[in-house]
Amino acid sequence: MSNKDVGTVYQQIIQDVVESSRVDFEEGGVDEHVLEELKLVSLSPFPHVCCFRRCTDFLISKKFLIDSLASAIHSEVLASARELWGDIGSLRCCLREGQLPLAGVRARVFAGGRASGWQSKLSQLGVATFPWDPKPEPQPAIANPPTVPSNAGNYQSMGTPPINQSQPGLSMPQISNGPRIKAEPGVESPHNMNQPSTYQQPMPALQNVSTAQQRAAAHLQQTYGSRATASINAIQSGGQPQHLQQNGQPNMQQMQMQMQQRQAAMQSQGQGMQQRSHVTQEQYNQLMARNAASRMQAAQQNGQHAQNPPQVSNGQGQNGQYQGPPQTDGPGDDEESFGVIQQGGEVMGRVEIDSLIRAQIERNGRHMEGGGLMLPLRKASASQSQRQLEQQRVRQFQAQNRGLGERQMDGGDDDDVKAEELDEDAINSDLDDPDEGLNEEEDEDEGMGHIMLCMYDKVQRVKNKWKCVMKDGVLTVNGREYVFHKASGEYEW
Amino acid sequence: MAANGQSFYELYRRSSIGMALTDTLDDLISERRIEPQLAMKILANFDRSITEVLAEKVKARLTFKGHLDTYRFCDEVWTFLIKDVTFKMENSSQTVQADKVKIVSCNSKRPGDPQ
Repeated sequence: MSNKDVGTVYQQIIQDVVESSRVDFEEGGVDEHVLEELKLVSLSPFPHVCCFRRCTDFLISKKFLIDSLASAIHSEVLASARELWGDIGSLRCCLREGQLPLAGVRARVFAGGRASGWQSKLSQLGVATFPWDPKPEPQPAIANPPTVPSNAGNYQSMGTPPINQSQPGLSMPQISNGPRIKAEPGVESPHNMNQPSTYQQPMPALQNVSTAQQRAAAHLQQTYGSRATASINAIQSGGQPQHLQQNGQPNMQQMQMQMQQRQAAMQSQGQGMQQRSHVTQEQYNQLMARNAASRMQAAQQNGQHAQNPPQVSNGQGQNGQYQGPPQTDGPGDDEESFGVIQQGGEVMGRVEIDSLIRAQIERNGRHMEGGGLMLPLRKASASQSQRQLEQQRVRQFQAQNRGLGERQMDGGDDDDVKAEELDEDAINSDLDDPDEGLNEEEDEDEGMGHIMLCMYDKVQRVKNKWKCVMKDGVLTVNGREYVFHKASGEYEW
Repeated sequence: MAANGQSFYELYRRSSIGMALTDTLDDLISERRIEPQLAMKILANFDRSITEVLAEKVKARLTFKGHLDTYRFCDEVWTFLIKDVTFKMENSSQTVQADKVKIVSCNSKRPGDPQ
C-alpha cells in the first residue's frame, strides 16, 4: 500500500487553503507574509533557519539551539519547550562532541523552536513524503557529520586565532585556539593526571579553550589528511548510538588513548570539591595560567564546561563569545560532577543549571496556563500535584546548590496514579468506566492514533456482520497516512 | 456537495494536515499575529478545500477487514473501533495491518442535500 499520492494531495490542499485565505487576510488587515509563514517555515525569529535548512552538513550551530531555547522560554510555550528540552539534552552532548545527529532531532528542534509553518509541521509528523521536503532524508550514519575538517581548516591558520565564532549555520563553532603544535601521542606529561602533548602557550583562560579532543582531531588531521579524517570521523560517529549515550566510546585507537588520559585527568580532578574550586578560582582569578601543563589543562577543562552551561541559561545574545570547543571523543563519564560554573561564588554543575532552566520553563508554562485552566480537567488536577512537586524540586535544587549533591534526574514521582485518584469528574456512572472501548481511544487522540476520517455511503449490518462503504477518507495508521476515494470494509462484531 | 454557502464537515481537522494547520494557527494567534476569527476562516477554508480535493483528486480505493470491537451511531456520525484490521490498497498487493483503528465517519449525504 503506497501513500505517495498523499504528498501531492496535501500540497494541493495547502495551496488551495492559502489561496482562498488570501482574501480573508486582506479583509482582516493582516500582512500577506504572515500567510506565507503560515504555509512555510516561519522566518522570524530565526533568520538563519532557511539557510540552515539548505545546509548540507546538517550541523546546527549552537546559536540556533540557544535561540530556540530562548524563544521557547520567552514565548512561554510549555509544550514546545518541553520537547525542546528533551532535544537539548542530546544536542548539547552532540555539540560537545562536535557532532550533530540525525535529521530527526533537527526536525524536532524545528518544532520545539516553533519555527514551523504548516508544511514543516506536517513534514515533521512524517506521515508521508511531501513535495516540499528536503530531498534526501539522510541516513543517520551519514548525517553524523565529521567535524574535524572545519576544525582542520582552522588548524591550518592557527597563527591568527579566529574571533568570529557566531556564524549561524556554520558547521562548528570556531574556537579561538592558541598556537599549537601538533599532538604527539605517547608523550607523557610529568604530571600523570594530565594529557600529554600540552604545548600551549599560556593564554587567557576564556580564550584558550583547546582540549584533548581537539588535539586528537588535529593529530588525526595531520596523520591522515582532511578527507581521511572526515571519513574516519564519520565512521566513528556512525559507530555510536544516535542518542548520545553517556558511555559512548569512539572506535579509534587514538581517540581511546586520549579518552583514557582524559578520564584519568577527570578522576584526579574529581577527587574533591576543594580541588575543583581551587582550580576554578585559579582560572578566574589568575587569567594567566602557569606554564605547568597540568595546571593549564585543568583550568582549560573547567573553562570548557563553565562556558557551555551559561550559554543555555542565558539563552540570548553574545553566544559567539563563549563558544566552547566541541568534544570529539564522546561525552565524559563524570561530567555531571565535573562541569562547573562559577556564579557569585557558588559552584553550579551542568545538572543544576539544567534543572534551573527547566524549572524556569515549567514555571513560565504554568504561568501561561493560568495554573492549568487550559488543560483538560482530568489533567488539571494532576498539574496541581505537579506544582507541588515543582516547588519541592526547586527547594531541592536550592538546597543542593549549596551542597552540590546528587539529585534526581529522571523527573518527579509518577503522577499518573494520583491523577486517577483525583479524577473529580467521576460521577460513578457507567459512562465513566475508563475501560470501555471508545473511551480509551480518547487518550490516543493527542498523539498520532490509528484513525480513519471519512464519510460513509453505506453502513449495513446482518446479524453480527457489518459491511460499510466509505468514501473520501484520510487514514492514519502505523505512522503513515493514506488517502482514498472509496473504501469498503467488512468486519464482524 | 460543494454548493455555495454550504458548510463542510470539520471532521478532517483531526488528520495530520489539519492538526499541522491548527498548530500553526495556534502559534500565530499566541504570537498575536492573527486574530482568532481569521483562524476560524482559514479552518473553514480548509474544511472546504480538503473535502473538495479528496472528492475530486483522489482515486485510490482500498478494502479493509477486521473485528468490530465497538460501534456507535450518534448525530449521523458512525464511529467504529476495529481491531486486528488489515487494509489493502487496490492495484497493490501490499497490505497494512494494525492492532486497531478508529473510524470516524460522517454521512456523505448531508440532510437537505439534493443528492
